[in-house]
Amino acid sequence: MRLVDERFERLMVRRSIVSPIETGTDRGAMVTVWLPHGVGYCASADLSGAGLQRAVEAAEHWASLCERCGVFDAIDLHALLDSREVPAVDSPIVQPLPARSDLLDLLKAESDTMRCDARIVSWSAQLAVTHRIQQFHVDGRLRSAQAMQFVEPNLIATAAQGSLSQTRTLGGQYNGFCQQGGFEVILASGLLGGGARIAAEALQLLAAPACPTGSFDLLLAPDQMMLQIHESIGHPLELDRILGDERNFAGGSFVTPEMFGHYRYGSDLLNVSFDPDVPRELAGYAADDDGEVAQPVQLIRNGVLLRPLGGGLSRARAAARGVMLEGTANSRAVGWHRPPIDRMANLNIEPGDSTFDQMVACVERGVLMRTNASWSIDDARNKFQFGCEWGQLIEDGQLTSVVRNPGYRGVSATFWRSLAAVGNADSVAVLGTPFCGKGEPGQVIRVGHASPACLFGQVDIFGAE
Amino acid sequence: MTLRLRFDDLADAIEAHTREGEFACALLQAEQSDFVRVNGARIRQAGLVERGVARLRLVQGDRQAVHLLTLPGLHSPQGQALRDAAGAGRDAVHRAVAEALDHLRALIVDSQADPLLDVNRDPVVSDDRGALPLSKPFDRAALIDTIADAAGTADLVGFCAAGPIARGFCSSTGSRQWYERHSVQFDWSIHLPVDAADGGERRAVKASWSAAELDPQALHRAVLMSCRDAQVMARPVRRISPGDYRALFSPRAFGDLLEMLSWGGFSARAHLTGQSPLSRLRNNESRFSPLLSLAEDLDAGFAPGFQADGYLRPRRIALIDRGGFSDWLVSPQSAREFGLQGNAASSGEAPDCVRVSAGALAADQALAALGTGVSISNLWYLNFSDRPSCRVTGMTRFACLWVEDGEPLAPIEAMRFDDSLYSVLGEALEALGDRCERLPATESYDGRATGGIEVPAALTGALRFVP
Repeated sequence: MRLVDERFERLMVRRSIVSPIETGTDRGAMVTVWLPHGVGYCASADLSGAGLQRAVEAAEHWASLCERCGVFDAIDLHALLDSREVPAVDSPIVQPLPARSDLLDLLKAESDTMRCDARIVSWSAQLAVTHRIQQFHVDGRLRSAQAMQFVEPNLIATAAQGSLSQTRTLGGQYNGFCQQGGFEVILASGLLGGGARIAAEALQLLAAPACPTGSFDLLLAPDQMMLQIHESIGHPLELDRILGDERNFAGGSFVTPEMFGHYRYGSDLLNVSFDPDVPRELAGYAADDDGEVAQPVQLIRNGVLLRPLGGGLSRARAAARGVMLEGTANSRAVGWHRPPIDRMANLNIEPGDSTFDQMVACVERGVLMRTNASWSIDDARNKFQFGCEWGQLIEDGQLTSVVRNPGYRGVSATFWRSLAAVGNADSVAVLGTPFCGKGEPGQVIRVGHASPACLFGQVDIFGAE
Repeated sequence: MTLRLRFDDLADAIEAHTREGEFACALLQAEQSDFVRVNGARIRQAGLVERGVARLRLVQGDRQAVHLLTLPGLHSPQGQALRDAAGAGRDAVHRAVAEALDHLRALIVDSQADPLLDVNRDPVVSDDRGALPLSKPFDRAALIDTIADAAGTADLVGFCAAGPIARGFCSSTGSRQWYERHSVQFDWSIHLPVDAADGGERRAVKASWSAAELDPQALHRAVLMSCRDAQVMARPVRRISPGDYRALFSPRAFGDLLEMLSWGGFSARAHLTGQSPLSRLRNNESRFSPLLSLAEDLDAGFAPGFQADGYLRPRRIALIDRGGFSDWLVSPQSAREFGLQGNAASSGEAPDCVRVSAGALAADQALAALGTGVSISNLWYLNFSDRPSCRVTGMTRFACLWVEDGEPLAPIEAMRFDDSLYSVLGEALEALGDRCERLPATESYDGRATGGIEVPAALTGALRFVP
């Protein structure tokens, strides 16, 4: 049984008007019955003894049907269950959050700062804080208990004139700056004092020319690398996609089970890790939602693909097909009302040895892009097209003009092989998204992505009006 | 029945625990859903989810605060157990609402006067339950057996969601507005083996079936038909180069394109804050084809007739009329903020019950009218690549076919398009189908969605594919 007790609070000041304070509580349990060859679940907010007993009966009914006509024929599911206790883990909170009224004052101050020009037609400052306590019990024994606090600040400003408009944000329009912790997250985000910069950059973009079209070098800042990692490394490596579970909705993967251990995913500079231990990163945890202990592992080393993002159940299914894979503890659910599936958690690019200035200096003709604004990728997570909020030309080793609506296209299977330089630790940002969608029924889950800035050679870049 | 029971408990509790000088209301979103994931025509993951979330709002003078509360239990026992559980459930709801209202009173201390506060305090009572199913419970085993039998050896991947969903608005002044639908929705795809000799391209067809209750024979027929449809995908994949192509959109693909217009296209707030993809349409700088008319139309039956502030929505709002901008959606908050006439839109100001006017193209003439080009069954992962010019990018997916002289010849590899809808659905739009397909929403991210679209097929003379 997975018991989740979540409390959240959302504060927002939009166009200098304080929105109603919104809080919430969401408490419930998912009971999962594991028969030797079938699994069924029932999610209920009725936590009385009678309510949980009824949930067991419903879950058992589905498990029996699954045993009769499911995908686990060749698997001993009971062998996957582990009831040993995992040490309790809480989010590290360095500085407790200030009182709500103080937080609102901070947001109002930034909102007022953004209202600096008649062309700024929309502006908002917002903060979401979620506190989650989760327990996982196996056969009546507590296996893991975790307490997490997620902090998601953002600033958004839109400048418009005539039929043109440009939007600039603190961490993307979907809260790319999001971490576990306390007030230190807000301080690290740049929210305090950030309103003036966000608004000024929106105005700067409004006056900027369109991004040129052509084949150029591409320098991606961490707040676009976050999306690049997510879509073209994270999703293709999810083992349930590789096993075909998502083919009806989120899609499959261009990666096949035979590729692990030798496939060249990227250049020698590409090193990718699954790391649940990075302080403050959004999807850090001690054990996944099937109770497996989470540990850091490398997925791609020096460009070579080593292992998928696959939880215990997916690995057992792969093994039953004759494919023995090491994986990760990433069987995760968005809440008590959804069953766990393979998800990214903290999926990171490891830093290299180039400074940001060195990467700029080695580019003759290129574009620096910051902050994701648009994303689209095929169902195998291969052909992609992404757009960013902010572009800046790199000419003869120098950052020059700002350009608006920068975008680029590529193919995952070849894009990472054009990785030409990886920023050092100074360029790393710990980011993520609270809005990764997948699964049937749908689940929007939190994932973390830490990355340095990265340089790619000769990418298909384009602009817009 | 049980969802309504809990809604009445919620409404009773709000009336009982609101104090003098206060106004309270709630929007309930509830469901009892059996969910089944299928891979290879076998169960991958299955279970039952019972969840009801009330968005409880307390108003004191010109201040308000909001609390989302998960109701403690929605279960549906029978007989004496029903009576016992009903009492326990009612008590639990009353306790939860009383605590939540106390919490909201404390929140309001930190709140400021809200100049956008607008909620309907008139007592409105309505009850829209659509076609309720027969009294027999959902037969889980029959669903599984039907799918497995019809699919046979076919690689069927799908998802079934079955059971009631409900929306309700209630208030301390006696409003009780109710919307409830029972349905079985099965959404699936049939996948052919990947042929490495054919470039490893994945080939599949997509299908769906829905009804108020499970009809095993009808579902069996639908799955069989999709297995037959999949055979056309067995032909070698045709690779086409980037460029402009004539394109025939299925109703589902056309619906996906039009859904992009809902991303701020009809929102008064989006228009007035520089974020609408249809600003040029509203300003008469651009137009769609005169063939295109669409409206928010509650008679399509996809969504409740009330919104979160308790206001009744107009039965019909014309949004695009013969290619031109007709009207926008204005929430009560936007009406106050921008000094507009409101039309009881939701806070997101996006249509969720859309009817597109049919055209004259008969289904059996559509391929001939296409001539040579691509027939597109499904689109995937659409997003704006340039919002002001309504430029959209996305991928083709599932059964998209290369057609020559009206004859479907081969599946195409997944292609990316990137084009302005002012072009694709403007001068280039040649015809709309003479019949609309009814497509209920299937999203389930934060619970099963209401909403949907009735939409015909569409034929365009030019759709730009990019590398």
